[in-house]
Amino acid sequence: MFKPRPKQAEVLAYRRGLLGVAAVPGSGKTATLSALAARLLTETELADGQEILVVTLVNSAVANFSRQIKAIVQQGNLLPGYGYRVRTLHSLANDIVRQMPSAAGLSEQFSILDERASNEILADAVDAWARRNPDAADAYLGAEHLNNPQVRTTHWVKLLIDSARDFIRQAKDSLLTAAAVAARAERRGGQLPLAAIGSEIYQEYERALAYRGAVDFQDLIRLALQVLQERPDYLASLRQKWVYILEDEAQDSSRLQETILRLLAGAGGNWARVGDPNQAIYESFTTADPKYLRAFIAAPGAQARELPNSGRSMRSIQRLANRLIQWSLAHPNAAIAQRRPLTTPYILPTPAGDPQPNPPDNPDALVLYAEAFSPSREAMLVTESCKRWLAENPRRTAAILVARNGRGSEIVQFLRRKEVPYVENLNSTSTTRAVVGALARLLGFLADPKSAAKLAAVYRVWRRDEREIPGREREINAIAERLKRIKRVEDLLAPRLVDWLEEALPADEDKPLRAHLLDFREQAAAWLRAVEMPIDQLLLALTGDIFRNVTDIATAHMVALHLARLAQANPQHRLPQFAAELYGIAQNKIKFAGLTDEESQFDPDAHAGKVTVTTLHKAKGLEWDRVYLISVNNYDFPSAEPDDTFIGERWFLRDRLNLSAEARAQLAALRSDGAYAEGAASAAARIEYAAERLRLLYVGITRARRALTITWNTGRNGDAREATPLLALRAWWESERAKGADHAPGR
Amino acid sequence: MSALDSERPAALRPQQITAAALDEKIWLEGGAGSGKTSAGLARLRQLLAAGVAADSIALFVPQRSLAEPYLQALRAESGYSGGIVRAYTLGSLARQTVETFWFLIAEGAGFAQPQALPNFLSLELVQYFMTRAIEPLVLEREYFHSVRIERARLYSQILDNMNKAALVGFPISEIGSRLKAALGGGIEQAHIFDDAQTCALEFRRYCLAHNLLDFSLYVQLFRERALMLPAARARLSRRFRHVIVDNVEEDNPASHAFLEQLLPGCQSALIIYDSDAGFRRFLGADPENARRLRQYCDRALHFGTSQVMSAGVSALSAQLSQHLSEADAPLERESDAAPALHWEAHRFHPQMVDWVARQIAELIEERGIKPRDIVVLAPFLSDVLRFSLRERLAKRGIRARSHRPSRALREEPAARALLTLARLAHPRWEYAPAAFDVALALMAGIAGLDFLRAKLLADTLYQRGRLLPFHQLRSAAAQDRITFAIGERYDQLRAWLDAYIEAGGSDAIDIFFRRIFGEVLSRAGFGFYGDAAAGNTAMNLVDSARGFRWSLEFMRRYDDSLDLAADYARMVDRGVIANFYLRDWVAEDEDSVLIAPAYTFLLGNRPVDYQFWLDIGSEAWSRRLYQPLTHPHVLSRGWQPQAVWTDADEAALNRQTLRRLFLALTRRCRRGVYLGYSELSESGYEGRGLLLECIQALLRAAARESADV
Repeated sequence: MFKPRPKQAEVLAYRRGLLGVAAVPGSGKTATLSALAARLLTETELADGQEILVVTLVNSAVANFSRQIKAIVQQGNLLPGYGYRVRTLHSLANDIVRQMPSAAGLSEQFSILDERASNEILADAVDAWARRNPDAADAYLGAEHLNNPQVRTTHWVKLLIDSARDFIRQAKDSLLTAAAVAARAERRGGQLPLAAIGSEIYQEYERALAYRGAVDFQDLIRLALQVLQERPDYLASLRQKWVYILEDEAQDSSRLQETILRLLAGAGGNWARVGDPNQAIYESFTTADPKYLRAFIAAPGAQARELPNSGRSMRSIQRLANRLIQWSLAHPNAAIAQRRPLTTPYILPTPAGDPQPNPPDNPDALVLYAEAFSPSREAMLVTESCKRWLAENPRRTAAILVARNGRGSEIVQFLRRKEVPYVENLNSTSTTRAVVGALARLLGFLADPKSAAKLAAVYRVWRRDEREIPGREREINAIAERLKRIKRVEDLLAPRLVDWLEEALPADEDKPLRAHLLDFREQAAAWLRAVEMPIDQLLLALTGDIFRNVTDIATAHMVALHLARLAQANPQHRLPQFAAELYGIAQNKIKFAGLTDEESQFDPDAHAGKVTVTTLHKAKGLEWDRVYLISVNNYDFPSAEPDDTFIGERWFLRDRLNLSAEARAQLAALRSDGAYAEGAASAAARIEYAAERLRLLYVGITRARRALTITWNTGRNGDAREATPLLALRAWWESERAKGADHAPGR
Repeated sequence: MSALDSERPAALRPQQITAAALDEKIWLEGGAGSGKTSAGLARLRQLLAAGVAADSIALFVPQRSLAEPYLQALRAESGYSGGIVRAYTLGSLARQTVETFWFLIAEGAGFAQPQALPNFLSLELVQYFMTRAIEPLVLEREYFHSVRIERARLYSQILDNMNKAALVGFPISEIGSRLKAALGGGIEQAHIFDDAQTCALEFRRYCLAHNLLDFSLYVQLFRERALMLPAARARLSRRFRHVIVDNVEEDNPASHAFLEQLLPGCQSALIIYDSDAGFRRFLGADPENARRLRQYCDRALHFGTSQVMSAGVSALSAQLSQHLSEADAPLERESDAAPALHWEAHRFHPQMVDWVARQIAELIEERGIKPRDIVVLAPFLSDVLRFSLRERLAKRGIRARSHRPSRALREEPAARALLTLARLAHPRWEYAPAAFDVALALMAGIAGLDFLRAKLLADTLYQRGRLLPFHQLRSAAAQDRITFAIGERYDQLRAWLDAYIEAGGSDAIDIFFRRIFGEVLSRAGFGFYGDAAAGNTAMNLVDSARGFRWSLEFMRRYDDSLDLAADYARMVDRGVIANFYLRDWVAEDEDSVLIAPAYTFLLGNRPVDYQFWLDIGSEAWSRRLYQPLTHPHVLSRGWQPQAVWTDADEAALNRQTLRRLFLALTRRCRRGVYLGYSELSESGYEGRGLLLECIQALLRAAARESADV
């Protein structure tokens, strides 16, 4: 049962109007918000059909919320979900649009393209454009790269794809259709060349979507807003329905999300937003910005609350995080300081008697390395340290946090070599890959059912849920090996003259195994009977037989949609081609579909005695006993200093231009009919990026419960420096250690 | 008109009709299961028994299957005189009449070649010609650029608009303005209605230029031209001297207008109106308008409502419909709905399907319910659901059958097999099928051949577009794997194909289908033997191919390079034609559990003991099908052309739709309803439809009540 501490109780006292809550890491904001939902549900007399709408960031949080609310509210003899609905912004937009698809120019059966599919379409559009306009690169390439064919054909096109994606996203976020952008671009003549390029690609991309009867994720949100704005009567009925809106992770809210929720709440409506502006780390990928939440909390009329107590980390770690806030407020770069990348409240420990007391403080367990390691030296030291610590603490959890997937993969190599037990939670998650892989094996078998090896693989898939049970893996392997040696698969699956089971396992021998294989035979034979179904439906039928987990099912569904589209575009495709497609996805580690990694709920506590390797982005919301925060140099955490390099500024462009930022600036100029000066956007992007990276560092620090080690390396070329914020933190911590004092700032 | 008569017991009802004089016109109204069609049959028998000539009696129904009970009864009987009793729908009547009087109306109607014969287009051919006629325009002018919709659906909506105009009786030039006024206010999308208008006019122009008649055009010609001809009217009066109209509430204003014209001149009439129905609104049904016909009748009878419901179902029916009624009455709690309502919540869809199978097994095995008295209903019946439920039931030895009204022909395994065989039989098309398709065709075509062995056969014996003889399998052991019995059948099929190729292989495609079906596939030992569904699919394919051939034969005048057979195979493969077809009710095993979309079950008009309502979270239970280019209500007769369609209209419509559905379903239910609920639908979405809301309200009210007690 949830026992609120005083600051949480203040939030739970909310009953109506606008409420803004600034929370700190580990302050229990999701638990508090669930408890608030449950309390409103039991204490408010909702009419039939009315609901509390809970909006959160990712799908895994949806399931988590529903579980928590269900655990608190006793709903007796009702079907689940009575009186509340938990949605991500995307699923909410989907709800809104699906009620009124024709108002958004959609048919009932419109499909939503995942990121992978929309990227493919975009890549096609860019490719076609680049071929039509081979000289476009001349205006942007550095003089020394002008005649490099590799740059012109590969790097330039890749950059165009990334920039066009950002451009289109920004246009959709500003509610500008392709036609509107084109009209404005035409009016400005040749003044804004990047906007003109973006506009042409945008139009091409939209035509491709329209032809497929599909929308992308941005469209879904844009169209939801459009429907709400154009259909006041519909909006009124939704306001009537959703009497409360509770929003979690509000720091990652975009302008559109805020606008949609503001519309849904209406003047005088009930809207409670909880978030931690210091953990907004999606600015670079989306149009999210923590400034929206900050402004909301500060606005007159909103009830402002804080959740400053956290029992997650030992005191020294909390103090380090607080110091980072304090330092950033007076950041040496005035432009960064002005952006206020991190803000108060500072993190406070939990009060005495709290059910979640902070771990005992141990300043020795907070180590900030000054040494300049090479990347491999750093990896080696961290690996060895990890190995020692896990041996001594087999029941504790540990993580190595990296800023980039690539660095994570390198670390995994070291761990493997040193035989350190680890879990990988990188690029596409292992769960996504496992789901696609399982389906690939199933389709592979159905496409070629006479292969015993494929049958054995399918057998493993059939028992995939049991592999975590100790000892089971060996049994599964033994049976699979046996299946692999079957000479004629039909003698097992569709016996006529010979029944393999009779021969290999006479009736009196090993009855349970016989019964088990009879079950498998029945299942596999049923799958074989299904081969005539349309591919998407076949896939969903298989899904029903092998997956139980929400994320797996959702992923499988996206795979089904992907294949259905493939089938539509290629009517001659049959099972062998579909199987090949899935093998491709499972193997090439492309980030597949819209099911991003955050959506598979990763539970660090399920991996005690192992070290998790993950990115800082994926670590959000998670915590470990011991954390290694590595590669904290000025490449991954730049501070907009002259020698910093920025990922957005490609080496082959002239004048350190950030093409994506410049293109978006030209779009903004189109939109406002304003002026544009080349280079200003690239400079502003540096500041913005540096600010977000500070928050990422803050997120990393606050993942640790009992021990935190921070290291940095000199980078691939040996010229990277210790990140400026780390330098500052280390200096402060050394002086604190020297003082041996416990009354430091941030309290 | 006499007083309404609603209180007599059901058994007496047919007599009420037969007690009427032979020249009386009767309006008969009643709920589902109240014996109306039985009364209609009694009337028909009475007319025939009295010596009325059969060809002066006409049955008039909204869709042909609804005349089946009458036609079946007639087939069982004999000994009546004067030709045969004919059943008509508006479409069939309009087509026949326009065809008969073509040379009198063609020129005035603006056809380019009034002296040449008309070409009536089937549903699928319309789609084909639509693509031909307006695709260039759509591409060139970037029409519908802001609409996200597959092109095939886009064209079918334009057709839908034209059909609505013909059925309701407004000019097709008003389609755009009507939609725009109602739906376009302030909307970025408004221009799409202009585009839809231009396309409709363009298609009409194309049809007039090529002597093509789609449904909308021949209905319009029937109304505006054929019925003006004295000869046509005289002919219709002869055929409709006595008329029996059933399910008039499911028919459209054009049908009603025709009947209005006809009734004064009829000698007798029986018009049957189901007060719990009106389900085909999306096809133009207008139950309110149908009531106008009552004024042409000498008297009205009322049969009241169903007598089949148990007290529990009756209470459930009342409570659900009350929850949705406009009046704010307190819930009627005279009897308890709980005994009739069974449910269990699940997280995932497959868990729900498991539960349904378990409950059905329990009903049959432990409570002795007959499978035919159980029906499983869902708003949409996907292949996944149909497949997974049938599999689960089959495992328990329970037979099930399912009907779905329309789907693409190429998605039917039997049709796909026939198309693959056609490709094998016509090497000159240079369109050889993939080995995988050959395996599927062999599995479908040869009885007892599983996919595994079919794949083996195809992988080894299908080479360079031809099937090799069975004995060419490398070893006896390999032949052993397939078994000789199968090998023999394989050889028969192969030999037939070879003989066909050697004979020149130039049959028309529909004749090819008919031959291979009749000479091989429907024989004992082959896949379609005793398989009524496959036979039905084959016949649908034959019809579709023949229609295609006939219509395009005529198009050769414009393009003589057409290879019709090859073109047909390619078009079906690409989904351009045969994408939608109406599947007849198949005489499958009747003592089996019916798995069907809710409305399909309702149109079958047969009460059962138990109903399973699946996917109760789905919005589709209460909602019309949304289409951006068309709107059944805005294009209906009762719509004021300048009115605006609001969300309140939509919400009220949803409530009304669901309420009607509740009433119609429960009145066809004797003992109880099982609710299948999973939090996540089969597509992984979490549905929160109006049906779920009603059920929650009902459960909450019950929970409160028990708490009060």
